[in-house]
Amino acid sequence: MAVAAPSRERARIEALERAWLERPGALGWLTTVDHKRIGLLYFWTTLVFFAAGGIEALLMRTQLAQSGERVIGPETYDQLMTMHGVTMIFFFIIPMTTGAFGNYLVPLMIGARDMAFPRLNALSYWLFLGAGIFMYSSFLVHQAPNAGWFDYVPLALRRYDGGANVDFYALGLIFNTVSSTIGALNLIVTIFKLRAPGMSWNRMPLFCFAMLAASLSLIFALPALTADCIFLELQRKLGFHFFDQAHGGDPLLWQHLFWIFGHPEVYIIVLPAFGIATSIIPTFARHRMVAFPLVAMAELLVAFIGFGVWAHHMFATGIATTTLVFFAAASMLVVIPSTIQIYAWLMTVNVGTPQFRAPLMFIGGFILFFVIGGLSGIMFAAIPFDQATTDTYFVVAHFHFIIFGAAVFPLLGGIYYWFPKVTGRMYDERLAQLSFWLTFVGTGLTFFPMHIVGLLGMTRRIYTYDHGLGWDAYNLVETIGGFVLAAGLLLIGINIVLSYRRGVPSGRDPFHGGTLEWTTTSPPPHYNFAVIPTVSSPYPNWDEADREEDLRKLARGELVLADGHETPETTVNDGAISAVAEMPPESPWPVLAAGTVTAAFFLLLTSHYATAGMAFALMLLTLVGWNLHEPEEGVG
Amino acid sequence: MTAATLPVRHARAKGWWGMAVFVATEATLFGTLVGTYIYLRFHNTHWPPARLPKPPVLTPSLLTAALVATSIPMFVASRAVGAGRREVAWRALTVAFAVQVFYLVWQLHDYVDAIHRYPPQESAWASVYVTLLGAAHAHVLVGVLLNAWFLVRIWSRLTRYRAVGVQATAFYWHAVNVITLVVLVVQLSPHL
Repeated sequence: MAVAAPSRERARIEALERAWLERPGALGWLTTVDHKRIGLLYFWTTLVFFAAGGIEALLMRTQLAQSGERVIGPETYDQLMTMHGVTMIFFFIIPMTTGAFGNYLVPLMIGARDMAFPRLNALSYWLFLGAGIFMYSSFLVHQAPNAGWFDYVPLALRRYDGGANVDFYALGLIFNTVSSTIGALNLIVTIFKLRAPGMSWNRMPLFCFAMLAASLSLIFALPALTADCIFLELQRKLGFHFFDQAHGGDPLLWQHLFWIFGHPEVYIIVLPAFGIATSIIPTFARHRMVAFPLVAMAELLVAFIGFGVWAHHMFATGIATTTLVFFAAASMLVVIPSTIQIYAWLMTVNVGTPQFRAPLMFIGGFILFFVIGGLSGIMFAAIPFDQATTDTYFVVAHFHFIIFGAAVFPLLGGIYYWFPKVTGRMYDERLAQLSFWLTFVGTGLTFFPMHIVGLLGMTRRIYTYDHGLGWDAYNLVETIGGFVLAAGLLLIGINIVLSYRRGVPSGRDPFHGGTLEWTTTSPPPHYNFAVIPTVSSPYPNWDEADREEDLRKLARGELVLADGHETPETTVNDGAISAVAEMPPESPWPVLAAGTVTAAFFLLLTSHYATAGMAFALMLLTLVGWNLHEPEEGVG
Repeated sequence: MTAATLPVRHARAKGWWGMAVFVATEATLFGTLVGTYIYLRFHNTHWPPARLPKPPVLTPSLLTAALVATSIPMFVASRAVGAGRREVAWRALTVAFAVQVFYLVWQLHDYVDAIHRYPPQESAWASVYVTLLGAAHAHVLVGVLLNAWFLVRIWSRLTRYRAVGVQATAFYWHAVNVITLVVLVVQLSPHL
């Protein structure tokens, strides 16, 4: 829209450029508060953690390829297994979905110029990085967490696990939950308060509904994990009693609190994937999502029911059967909102005119894997079946179909789908489709045989097994599948890097998507939109009259807000403008605050409590520095 | 400012909503702590263990009553900053701050005693008792720091940013007062 703009319009755009410009160079990345740059920081960091978690998985698969292998010993295996789970869940999927996709896309989709709290946004990234460094530094001292990602007591107590392994785990997760809580809070308030004028709830993109549901779940689920880890550290380091029977504690308390967090967590992981599916499907099916309000409700309902099913992870712990029956029934209930969504996705493709390009292919794979993983999930809701297969590879098969097949496949599709928006260049379609088939076949080969070996009796969390149990062939197939999958993922990485360098320019809207991010240039300018768009439907990019009106507003200077660093605040329900928010400029304080917190956690780990207290006091000083600079002072 | 040219409807600022979500997650944290107390209570015949003296009643009740009463000056301050009345807000904040500091100092003094009387290494009851009280006092400390900050900030000038901050802090205090009441009930529950 900037082509041959008359001088008055050009002057407005230049004023916006000046107001939103950030410092160039490496220092600019340290002090940035731009949600797009923070989103990219999240993206590349989580990709590094994804690679680490993937290498851990491949090492385990190599060890398990044949019976009696001696690639890695049992202690190393335990550490790799634990770190694989911890990394993939806390340092890959959550920060990738809420941190990278949520950060980059939510403000663009709701027509805002940034997140509600830009400096807090930077803080949540730097805390996440600090927590990741903290957790991974455990490998340097050969004491990585080793009691599984669920870290059950009494195994995780000092008596049975005397090193610093579990301390890295518990402190690292407390650290990580702080970052995730801040990120979720920011997304919720952004969605509540910064939606474009006219974007009432019924016009908000389903992607944002999914992000809202995931963020609300984080807000209400993470405290249980934080408290659990605090209890564990108090017991391990200071001799408190929460989990030991002898002094009136209870080992099952750990499991209850862990799964009160852990089950909502499954939906926290998979909801953003639903959101990505509901973005990709309408675009490539050339049809709005069918049953739009039902799908929005279903997304929120999944998150809500997710809080009432935690004990289905504990069917084999000896809890009273009457209690278990309640949780089994509640678990069955999840089928309803899940199925509503599956039918809505399929029907949208059915009534539309689908173009099977790479992003939609990944969504196809996602739906298939989600159905397979969902069906084995329903089997687990039957208590006797769960008790028979607990701790076997059948469980591993089930949750990898959900966590990898259903949660990661849409992410991979989403990477291709929004690549042109983020970089301004097209990805290579042929390589992308090849990478789809490799990852698709790899996923099936890796995880499907696990159902069979599980039913044959192979237990989880074992580092080796005997010859002659009939497991060898399946395990070999799984390992080969793992490497095929890795090749497919590597190909996606290669595609991204090559296309970033020499992809064809994509233009503003290569796929004719329906949501607001496609109305602005690729990559979007720092201020996202020259005119804050006014919205009258859930697919504003398809409302051509509205978008032409936006251009006329630029000429009239309406809703340009070029006088400062500004974005409108709107009312929570109907998206009517309630104020103009002055946004803070870039700031060095978030990264400094996160640095002091990181130092404090290392000091807690080494039991230097007084010094750790001083580090926290230092953090308070950084917060003073932070708050001394008020956004409005820029305007005067 | 551009706001003048736009049709503007009155609504809570995003800063207030940020505090509301923060309070929601903190309330959940306390829900977890209280839930743990109740859960462990049903796994023990004697709760607290019979060999320990029961927790005090009078002092924590009176202190909590005083703290909860600070919701009134906090409410006044919150209204006053909304109306741009800086001096009224500052005075109300000062009153609240004095009571809150009094409460915190006394409670911390008693807390050190409690750790000696009920060493958390002694039993699960002592562990969860000390943890719950510690968490409650930590939240009061955060509120005291927030109030101290805004007393300094609105001494000279009231901006929209600071006004939203005071309103969010008032909301935080209402929540902390409710949490303190719940913690008090849990603390006194062995006497019921």
